[in-house]
Amino acid sequence: MAGRTVSIELLWDVAIPKSLEQTQGWVLCAMQRYGRELVNMLWRILGSEQDVCDAYQDTFLKLAHHEHGCKPENVKAYVFRSASNIAISILRHRVIENRHSSRIPVKSDMSSPAGELDTRNLMEALRAGITELPDHLRDVVTLHDLGDLTYEQTGRILGISAATARVYRCKAVRLLAARMRKENT
Amino acid sequence: MNIMKVKDYCRQIKGLINRFLVDKFMLDRRWVQNHIANCPRCQRRVMLLGKVELAISLLKSQPHRLDLLMRANTQAIGVLKHSLRSATRAEMLRNVRPEPGFFERCARYKRSFANAAACIAIAFLMKASVFSSGQTFESEAGKAMKHYYASQAGEDIARDVFTTQV
Repeated sequence: MAGRTVSIELLWDVAIPKSLEQTQGWVLCAMQRYGRELVNMLWRILGSEQDVCDAYQDTFLKLAHHEHGCKPENVKAYVFRSASNIAISILRHRVIENRHSSRIPVKSDMSSPAGELDTRNLMEALRAGITELPDHLRDVVTLHDLGDLTYEQTGRILGISAATARVYRCKAVRLLAARMRKENT
Repeated sequence: MNIMKVKDYCRQIKGLINRFLVDKFMLDRRWVQNHIANCPRCQRRVMLLGKVELAISLLKSQPHRLDLLMRANTQAIGVLKHSLRSATRAEMLRNVRPEPGFFERCARYKRSFANAAACIAIAFLMKASVFSSGQTFESEAGKAMKHYYASQAGEDIARDVFTTQV
């Protein structure tokens, strides 16, 4: 009887890690499959390597703990949306910090050719503009423009049609342009 | 069934309107460009839209260090469960480097592939046309022979000779 209990316990000990590995193996699969695209997207949104690593870590931690370790129905959509949301919240914090700290970047003189070519300011202005966009427009810009996904893929991830994604992108660009104009005046 | 028809009809109309708008109001149309050249408001609008597009392409072209993916993977795997951390795939991900995909690697051979495919297609077409010309020649020659036999030896004999040949 005792021998039987021991053998069952042994079986139990071996079975748990194996099943865990099997059930959570998809996290590593997702990392392997989408890692490169995700890192590119996060890098374009954040522009800081440490922030990219932090956002990437949070994304996969969130994925691993999704509904007590259950695999989401659409892993790609989940991963891309989570990464985009995490990156945007990091970016928002950074924008607020910059605004309140003494390290406020000097506004470039956009009317001069030198100011026009100040690419860094231009990119920071765009990043700040993206954080202020409405959620539905921002998602399209981050996934389509910064994540290099097609309109069809973007639409599938966000649950909208490709045509709607196209319209949202157009609206987002118009809003970003308006914001840049406001910044210049 | 009717709903499907209506949907198709709607789609057709949408396509037509879209095509019309693209034809008439694209930025590269002459009248649009003439207008922009003389309208300061539109100039400002186009300039701002161009600036946004430029900023997006700048963000896209900004390079990062090659080991960023490796570092991000290492950091992310570090907070996962022990069973995942010690998996063989995890070890592989810790050392992964961004490599171009299959199509990106083959991109430099694109022109050679295209040339080879064009050559093969031309050769195939030539061969096909040669064979079809041969077949046409054979059938025309057969008809001429039949006609000759029919005129010289009679219709019945010609029919007998050529049906037994077929």
